Order: sequence, then C-alpha cells, then structure tokens
Amino acid sequence: MSYYFAIIGTQDNPLFEYEFGTSKQGGDGQARFPDDAHHLNQFVLHSSLDIVEEVQWTNGQLYLKVIDKFFTNYISCFMTAGNVKFLLLHQPTATAAAAAAATAGVSGVTPVANPSRNSTAVGANPTSPQTEEAIKNFFGEVYENYVKAIMSPFYKVNMGIRSPVFRQRVAAAGRKYL
Amino acid sequence: MTSASSSSLPSPRLPQTRQSLPPTAHHPLAQPDDESDPTGSGPAPSARVPRRAQQQPPAPLPLRDRRSTASLFRSTLTPPGSRSASPAGSFASARSPGRASTMSLPMTGSVFGGGARSPYQQQQLQNQSLLDAGGADNPGDPLSLMLHSFVPHIAIHASVDVDGLARGKGFAAGLWELLRPFGERVQGKVMVRDSNGASRPWEDFSVRFVRYGEGLEEPDVTGLVGGGFLNGQPDANAGSVPGAASGSKKGDIIAQVEAVVDRHLNFAEEAYAGSGMSPSASPTRLGLDMDATSPYYALYLRRLLSGLPFAPHESFAHPVACVMAISSRDPAPIETLQKLYRETSQGDRSLPPWVDGEYLRYYVLVHDEENGDITKSMALFDQMKRNFGLHCHLLRLRSTQSAETDDDSIPLPRSDWMTAAEELADIEASETREDFEDPTRYIFESDATAIRTLVREMVTQSVVPTMERNISVWNDQVASRRRGLSGRFMSLSKRWTFGSSSRSSSGASGSGGGGGGSSSSSNYDSQGGFYRADSSEAIMRRLADYAFMLRDWKLAMSTYELLRSDFQNDKAWKYHASANEMAALALLIMPPNMSSKTRIETINQMLEQALYSYHTRCDSLYGAVRCTVLALELLRLRGGSGVDEAVRWGIRVLEARLTGPVGDALLRERMAVCYASKSGHGSQSWGARHRKSALWSVLGAEAWVALGKHVQAQRCLGEARRMYALLPAECGVQNFGVASDFLAGLQGQVKAGLRADGGAKEEVDEERETLGTSKQSKRMSLINPAGVAGVGGGGSAGLETAPLHDTLPAEAVEAGRVNDGFG
Repeated sequence: MSYYFAIIGTQDNPLFEYEFGTSKQGGDGQARFPDDAHHLNQFVLHSSLDIVEEVQWTNGQLYLKVIDKFFTNYISCFMTAGNVKFLLLHQPTATAAAAAAATAGVSGVTPVANPSRNSTAVGANPTSPQTEEAIKNFFGEVYENYVKAIMSPFYKVNMGIRSPVFRQRVAAAGRKYL
Repeated sequence: MTSASSSSLPSPRLPQTRQSLPPTAHHPLAQPDDESDPTGSGPAPSARVPRRAQQQPPAPLPLRDRRSTASLFRSTLTPPGSRSASPAGSFASARSPGRASTMSLPMTGSVFGGGARSPYQQQQLQNQSLLDAGGADNPGDPLSLMLHSFVPHIAIHASVDVDGLARGKGFAAGLWELLRPFGERVQGKVMVRDSNGASRPWEDFSVRFVRYGEGLEEPDVTGLVGGGFLNGQPDANAGSVPGAASGSKKGDIIAQVEAVVDRHLNFAEEAYAGSGMSPSASPTRLGLDMDATSPYYALYLRRLLSGLPFAPHESFAHPVACVMAISSRDPAPIETLQKLYRETSQGDRSLPPWVDGEYLRYYVLVHDEENGDITKSMALFDQMKRNFGLHCHLLRLRSTQSAETDDDSIPLPRSDWMTAAEELADIEASETREDFEDPTRYIFESDATAIRTLVREMVTQSVVPTMERNISVWNDQVASRRRGLSGRFMSLSKRWTFGSSSRSSSGASGSGGGGGGSSSSSNYDSQGGFYRADSSEAIMRRLADYAFMLRDWKLAMSTYELLRSDFQNDKAWKYHASANEMAALALLIMPPNMSSKTRIETINQMLEQALYSYHTRCDSLYGAVRCTVLALELLRLRGGSGVDEAVRWGIRVLEARLTGPVGDALLRERMAVCYASKSGHGSQSWGARHRKSALWSVLGAEAWVALGKHVQAQRCLGEARRMYALLPAECGVQNFGVASDFLAGLQGQVKAGLRADGGAKEEVDEERETLGTSKQSKRMSLINPAGVAGVGGGGSAGLETAPLHDTLPAEAVEAGRVNDGFG
C-alpha cells in the first residue's frame, strides 16, 4: 500500500506533495511506487480534478471520499473552504487490489465490508468504511496543521508550503492513521 | 489552410504531393451532391476551419509507383476534414449537430456522474434513438460503421462462364468482386416495415455480398470446458483440441487487423519522411479531431467488423439470399441453374446443419452486350421467370475491359469492407512484387448503372420483403409463443423436470426439431456446440438478427432478451455471449424508455456477461473486443454519464490486454476523444473532462512513441496541449515537477524521432519552409479573427493560438520551447 498526497491550489498548482507508505501491518512507511509511476501519479491526480469539480457541488461535506479510480489507483478528496483540495492517491498492493476489484467490480456497488480482511489491512479495500474513516482522520489532522501553517503572515494564496514542520506533521499523521 | 489555398502556395512540393493522392474519383454509388464522397476530392468549401488544414500530411511516396500504392491506403489518406459537414470556426460549433444535444447536458449528479438532467433534455433524449440524433451520417463514424457492418449478407454463386465474363472485365475473383462495391450503398431509399407495420425509409441501406460458402467457421466447443462440463469424456475428445485451434484463429483476426493498421501507420510515417517537412512544420498542428473519427481508429473498427464470423452462434453472416448467376454464353442455361441450386441444397458444398437452408434464391441472367443476342437472352429470361417466379433479373454487361482512358469509364472503388486478411495480402503484394499494378478497376458507366439497378431491385423487391415476411412468420409462430405465459411455463418445466441429468449423456447426435427432441430436453447439441437451424432457439436468433439488420431495435432487443436466459440454461456460452452483446447494443441504440440509471445498470450487466462469456468461457478475443468497443462507442454517443461508463469499458479492454499494441494505442487515443466529447457547464465548464482527456492523450502519445510512430505521437501531444489550454487555469500540469519533466522528455523524443524520420530532406527544405510558413501564418492570422469571434470565449482564444506556435520557423520553436504550453 503506497500513498501519494498532494495539496492542490486554486490554479491546479500543487502546494505540497508527499509520498509515503503504510505503517500498518509492519509497513515501514516507505512508498513502494514503481519508478515510472511517479509522473503517472501526478498526471492521475491532476486529471481527477475534473471529477472533483463535478462532485463538489453534489456533496455538502468537505470530505468527498473516494471520487475517482484509474486502473488500480484510487483518489480520495478533501475540499478546504478556500477551494484548495487535498487529494490522496492510494494504491493497494497487487493482491489486495485484485480482491477489491473482484468484489467491487462485479457487483457494481460498494461491497459490504468483510470484517476479517478489513481488520487486518486498512486500505486493502479502498471503498470500505474502515478505510474511508482512516483517510478522513488523516485528512482532518492534516487540515488542522494546514490551517495553522497558512496562518503565517508571510503566506499568500497559492504559495507552496515549504515548512519542514508541516511536512513532519503530515508524515506523523500518515504514520498514525494509514 | 483549406486545401484550395494550400495548393496555391508557392512551394513546389505541394502540387507534387497532390498527385500522389488517388486520382479524382467519384464513387459510382454516391449521390452527386453527396458530401461523403470517399475520395474527398471535391473542392473544399471556403468556410472550412483553418485548423483542419493538412490534417493528414500530404503523402508522396518515396517508393516506386506512387499512385498504385497510395490507392491501397486511401482509407486513411482521406483527410477527415473533407468529410465533415461542420461549417466553420470554433471548437464548439464545429461539432456535428447530433452531438449538440449531448453538449448542452448539465452537470451530472452523483459521484460517478449518474444522470441528473433537466426534464426537457431528458424528454428530448427519450424520444429519439441514436439514429435520429444524427451522427450516423458520417462514413467514418463508429455508429454508421456499426450499422453498415450488421447488414444482410447475400451469397453469390455464379456459374463458371459468368466468372469467366467478369474475369474478362478484369475482375479476377469473378462476379462477386464486380458486385461487391455496389452493395455498400443501395441507391435511393429503401422502405422497411417494422413488426408493427410502420414503414420507415432508410437512405443508407446496404448489403454485403459474399462468396457462397466462404469463411465458414467450425463451431467450437470451448464453452464446454469453461462451463464446467463434468463428464470428462467430451472434454478429452472434443473440447480441448478444436477449441484451442479455433481460439487461436479468433486471435488471428485481431492480429490481422493490427497488422493492417500498422501498415497504414507505417505508410503515414514514410510519407511524412518522404515529404521532408521539418519537424516543427506540419504535424504539430494535427490535433486529434474530435468530430471526425481518427482514420486509423475507423479503419481498425472497420476491419474488425468487416469479417463477421460465419459461425453458428450468430446469424448475421448467414446468407439471407443467394444470387445464382448464369450467363448468355451458357449453352444449357436452365440445367446450369438447376445444378447451381442443387449445389446449394445438397452435397459437399451445401451449408452445415446450423445454417438455415431455406434462404431466398435469386436468379440472375448475365447478358453479354457485345457478343450475345439480346432476343435470345430475353426469351431465356422469360423462361426463367416462368420457371423460378419473380426473383429473377436480367443483367446486361459489356464483356470488354474498360480502361481509364475510355470516355465513359468510371473507376470502381475498392470495397470498403474487405476483410483484414484480404487487405493485408494486397499490401504485402504491393511490397514484395515489383510488377504490382494499381488495383483500381474501371468499368463502363452503363455497366455501373445496370448493376446499381440490379442491386436496388433485388434489395427492395426481394430481399427486404422476404426478410419482413420471415420476421413476421417467426415472430407469430415461435417467438410470441415463447413470450406468452404458457411459453414461459413450458421453459420452466423443461428446465426443472429433465434437469441436467439427461443432457450430458444425450447430446451426441443433433436432436432435431423444435419443442424438445426425443433424447434431450434441450435443443442444444452440446457436443457439436450448436443448435440445429430448425430448433426454436436458432429460429429466434435469426428472427432477432433479421430485426436488427432491418433496424427494428425493439423487436430485436426483446427477442435477444428471451434468448439470453435460454442459452444460459443450456450452457451454450458462445450463444449466450453473443445474445447478451446484441441485446446491449440494441438497447443502446433504441430510444431509451427507462430512466437512465436503470438503463445503464442493465446494459452494464449484459455487457459484463457478454465479456465474461466471450473472454473467459469461450476464449474468443474477437468477440470480447468487438462487444466492448462497440458498446463503448454507443455509450459515448449517449453522452452524460455514458461517457464515464464508456471509458470504464475501455479501461477494461486495456486491463485485460485484449488488443495488441496498435489497438492499445488507438484505444488510449479514443479514451481521450471520449472524455473530450463530454462538455462542461457554465463559464468554468464544470463537469467537463479536459484534464482526463489530456491525460489519455499523453498516455496515447507514450504508447505511440513506444511503437515508433512519431507522427501519431505528435498529434496526441498536440491534442493534450490543446486540452490543457482549455482549462481555466491554462497551465496544465506544468506546476507538477515530475509530470512536466516527463512531458518535456516525451516531446523531445517525438521531435528527435520526427527529425530522424524527416532526415535528409530537412536541410534542403528549410529555407523554403520558412518562407512558406511565414506566409501561412500570415494567412492564418487573417482567417483567425472570424473563427475566434464565433466563440467569443477565453478558452477558445487559447485554442486558436496554440497551434500558431508551431507555424513559427523551426529555430524559433527550438529556442522558445518554454512557450509551447508545457513549460
């Protein structure tokens, strides 16, 4: 399970990017994307902004859950009040993805969560309530830190966030929930 | 540049390249005022979009006799712009009128775009089938391709001397080759009555002429293996061996299609290299044209559909009628006719038991105008009419070969619907044999008129009425009985009382007759893998196929619906897959009457089953690809959330690796077109898919680069750039570091590739090119304001100016890479 997290400004510009891996089930927190996936991740994330723009008007929540899927990549989204988007691309490991695709693809609806599997692997099934909850918590914590970061008097809209403290806190949130 | 203005440029290269296009040929089947003239040679209307200029790089051949080979590749050489009727100017208004209805759809509602439409638009869409919504008019359009591929097949069984006569006229394959192009468009309107008795005229009706008994496909029984046939015996002797053989044969069709398209692509690359354009000149401006289908994709589809398998599980390729032709040279004409008839009904050459033998026989007497005696022929024809009834025709042909220089000769176009194997053989012949000659044939105007009359008369007076009669008879006698309450009850009892116990032991010899044979509860011959032609399932399948061919979607759909469950109970997986496929297609074409949500779910379910049965149970790659690609196109035309569904199916094909590398790249390109055809709402165009479209264009470019097709890659990149320019922020992915590096790298690779292709001639042309392009850009700037004024939006300005970068001289582009939109 690998994650690619990005904060996208109002002009499709990334303000912050961070790649990490899962820390559950003995994961070491390192991203395990193949070499050629780094640019693809950015493309995929960027392209799902199309979906964000559509979905944001149909949902009163800030957390929009999984909004898009590209092959085995799932995109979760969190809108902030200032039209800055948090996007998280999560890529289940191959076997888990296959299992998830089998259940989700055939029935066509969100499958009923299988407690035994989800208790062992958060994120193995990207649309399960457990995963959604974990990602929600992650987004919540990042949002809190984000608000604190941009309260800096030197920060202007659509400026990249370079604060090392912020990066550390995002990493910590990733370790804690994902 | 319109083609008119491009020919007036000072560059001496251009007139030369125009020669390389096939000679101005008027399709003998087309109406005089027809804009679908397949050669696209008519003078371009002055109002055409400048962006469309030189869509295809004009193609002089570096090799051999240019004209002869160029005509082989005509189908992709034709500039798509010349086909489109779109008036002028802007991205938005250049769409075909049919798509205008989907364009104005508001944003869709749910997360994945479940439809929330305004009542007005919903009603508008509800009342029309896809055919009425336009889009079927364009010859390269997938919907029209589909309509023209599932058409009645007419077998041709000619006597030896008829084929000899045709050979004398230069048609080596006999009468079939002479008639074939004329079946592609039946002149005038064809009235077709549907099952309710309502008549409807069709302008573009077509039939397919095939050689009698050609392309017969053995039924394969792989379905047994996949279907969990418990008895080991049939698996061993019937299941595995022929199944594997036919499985690889299916794959062959895809492989052949890939090979053909690959040849066309190579031709384009060579033509580009031969034209010696500097890399920055022309192809950068070639975006994917969102209105006209990419010629290569259209070719791919066409070749995929042109050889419908003559197989038991679908009866599209089964002959609806058979033309029996004799000539006036024959000393014993009536005996010859009887011999021909006997050959089709019994003996070695008769069709297998799963083909209905009761098809219409149409008797044609070919009169030799130059050597024959017309009074004798008339007498013989009268005698034929007395003996065989109304289905007769006297065809008067001149027996000498027509040359191009003759006054009244017209070129006969090569058939658009030749199979991939045929075209591949042609291309290979042109590559290997030195004495390869131009395959274009010429016939006399009078002959063409005579054949057109024959085809029209045969179709309107014999074939269509016969099909209508068959439909009504089968519908009354077989299908309506099954539709009624007792019919349903019967099928239930059949399923439960006899069960599967008797099935495995009994399947050996085809248990004939409708209504349950003596030995088996089911009509399915599980060992042979087919239903006999006289079983009720086979008749219903024919009924549904006939209805589909005559475009009575409702009847077709309801019959396929009945068959789906029957085939599933019998574990006839191939039949099952095919019935599901056609049911989904018919449902997509016909006017929707359910809410779009349930409709899409139903369709998805059918497609899912079709794909699973084709791919997993029967290992039929061909069926799987055909079914998903057609569904994808129809879903795209439905617009709204259908576009997202279409792409989902496309991803399924890519994921399962059903196609080869060429198909893969074409499909990626197609995904981009799909997403681009979904338009947004409001000034921010919310709900549009520009970013997605651009992503797929980039993926397409990546695939083309991997295949070494740099011209195509350049087109994709141009399209991606155009899409990114349409975004409100207008900066695309350039703020994403790795992604924009990748794009720049890709762009560099394409440029290097093009330069390597363009190679030697580049330096020579450099100076002239600079002169030419500066003139061009001046001209474009004159034309542009009109185009921009037509739209009056910020995004469109970006669209119109983006291509202008490429008309800069080469050095400027090299130096100012920063400006090209990718950063």
